[in-house]
Amino acid sequence: MMVEKPEKKRIPIRERLLSKPLSRLEDVRLLGSKCKNCGEVGLGEVSSCQNCAGEDLEVIHLSQNGKLWTYTVIRNSPPGDFKGKVPMGEGLVELPEGIRVKSPLGGDIEKLEIGMDLKFTAYPLYENENGEEVIAFRFDPV
Amino acid sequence: MKEREIVIIGCGMHKFGRFADESYADIGREAIRMALQDAGISWKDIQAAYCSTMYLPATSGARIMRPLGATGIPICDVEAACASGGVAMRQAMLGLESGEYDIALVLGVEKMPRGFMDPLMLYERWQVEMGMSTNPSYWAMRARRHMYEHGTTELHIAKVAHKSHRNSVNNPYSMYQKEFTLDEILNSPLVCDPIRLLEICAPNEGAAAVILCTKEKARQYSQKPVTVAACTHTITLYSADFRVPLDSMSAKILNPGPTEKTSKKAYEVAGIGPEDINLFEVQDTDCFCEIEIYEELGLCPLGDAGKLVDEGVTEIGGKYPVNVSGGLLCKGEPVGASHLGQVVEIVWQLRNEAGKRQVKGAKVGLAHVLGAGGNCAVTILKT
Repeated sequence: MMVEKPEKKRIPIRERLLSKPLSRLEDVRLLGSKCKNCGEVGLGEVSSCQNCAGEDLEVIHLSQNGKLWTYTVIRNSPPGDFKGKVPMGEGLVELPEGIRVKSPLGGDIEKLEIGMDLKFTAYPLYENENGEEVIAFRFDPV
Repeated sequence: MKEREIVIIGCGMHKFGRFADESYADIGREAIRMALQDAGISWKDIQAAYCSTMYLPATSGARIMRPLGATGIPICDVEAACASGGVAMRQAMLGLESGEYDIALVLGVEKMPRGFMDPLMLYERWQVEMGMSTNPSYWAMRARRHMYEHGTTELHIAKVAHKSHRNSVNNPYSMYQKEFTLDEILNSPLVCDPIRLLEICAPNEGAAAVILCTKEKARQYSQKPVTVAACTHTITLYSADFRVPLDSMSAKILNPGPTEKTSKKAYEVAGIGPEDINLFEVQDTDCFCEIEIYEELGLCPLGDAGKLVDEGVTEIGGKYPVNVSGGLLCKGEPVGASHLGQVVEIVWQLRNEAGKRQVKGAKVGLAHVLGAGGNCAVTILKT
């Protein structure tokens, strides 16, 4: 009998932010919370609506595809325990659900442009001290 | 109109900069001593004190002030990021207006580590790990959008830096007192596109203090009281901006920004508008930030701040002089002390004691701070 190679355990970079399971990264989506009172959508699974303080919210999967609303390029390594590499694009990505999500941007920093099409990517950012893969996200050019 | 009018009867300031040989307590006490002397009173006369800091240890206010005399008065530490000083001012105002006290001291003091601030003070761990914790990045993204929507340019941002660096030469309390050419500014390294090194303020050390008093009681002390016409504080509304540590904003709702909301409230309390104000000291974490604040304070319509810069309206000889002190860009930003520093500058200006950077005939001034969490505070002073 074949012994399957055990896969590394994966954890999200923050709880209640990414859909589960994390085994197939192409199926992972950002979570949102849609307020049943005012219709606004917050990032992640949250218990209150920041717009109307309503507490009746529905957890939704946010769309993969969005457009770049604004951006910058981080030239120097950010302070603290940054796990990536610079230079790196950072932007607000507007999604069809009516939310703009702050996100690292993949691709060529010279080709960033407001309005460009972007697609959500979940990926392993680093391995933590327990040997677990920590899953983060970014938006990449389509 | 409030029943009790509150005035500033004394102010003091320790230069902003880097001071390896002085503790935060030394720096803070120097500003306090200067303020007491200016008011012609002694520490024993102070009935309550408020200490604004962000990066200092617990009970810093008591540690700094008890050595002046353990008189048993309440000493409250106040923290609201870059707006800490404005919030401390407001707490003191509430204590005085309510009748609880007649005379109170507000100190802003800071001694910060070099370089970027510790990101975990401002952001969540996952944001730091993913690289979304460079402090000027949200301003840079706002700048990029402003350029896209309103045609603001990198030259506009550089012109603001040019103005403030030029103003700083006349301010002995400023950390940097050096003029730069527009070319030097535009060729300084990009930190977060489109914001450059000579367009960003640095964290540092310093202190400033004021003594607040009811107008009635002030008669026995001061010949030159300056009235606090308004002191307001708010935290940004939902989807009004995307300041730290926010992770998202609405694409459907855009509420008035924190500066617009807080200044509007201050104008109402003071019963005046921006056209009645002779000088402004505003939060210039970077020079785009100052541009955006022109619009939110109502100095021009939304999107027109670039034009305001081109016309020199915010120069020291213009209609609305902004940051004649050199601003935080040149003074540096000792976070807890920054607002009190602005207030002291305006007091000097209104007393006609500001030397070479004096705005001629200044009668009314506005101080503004804005920071993490969308904390914003505005103080309006008048003679």
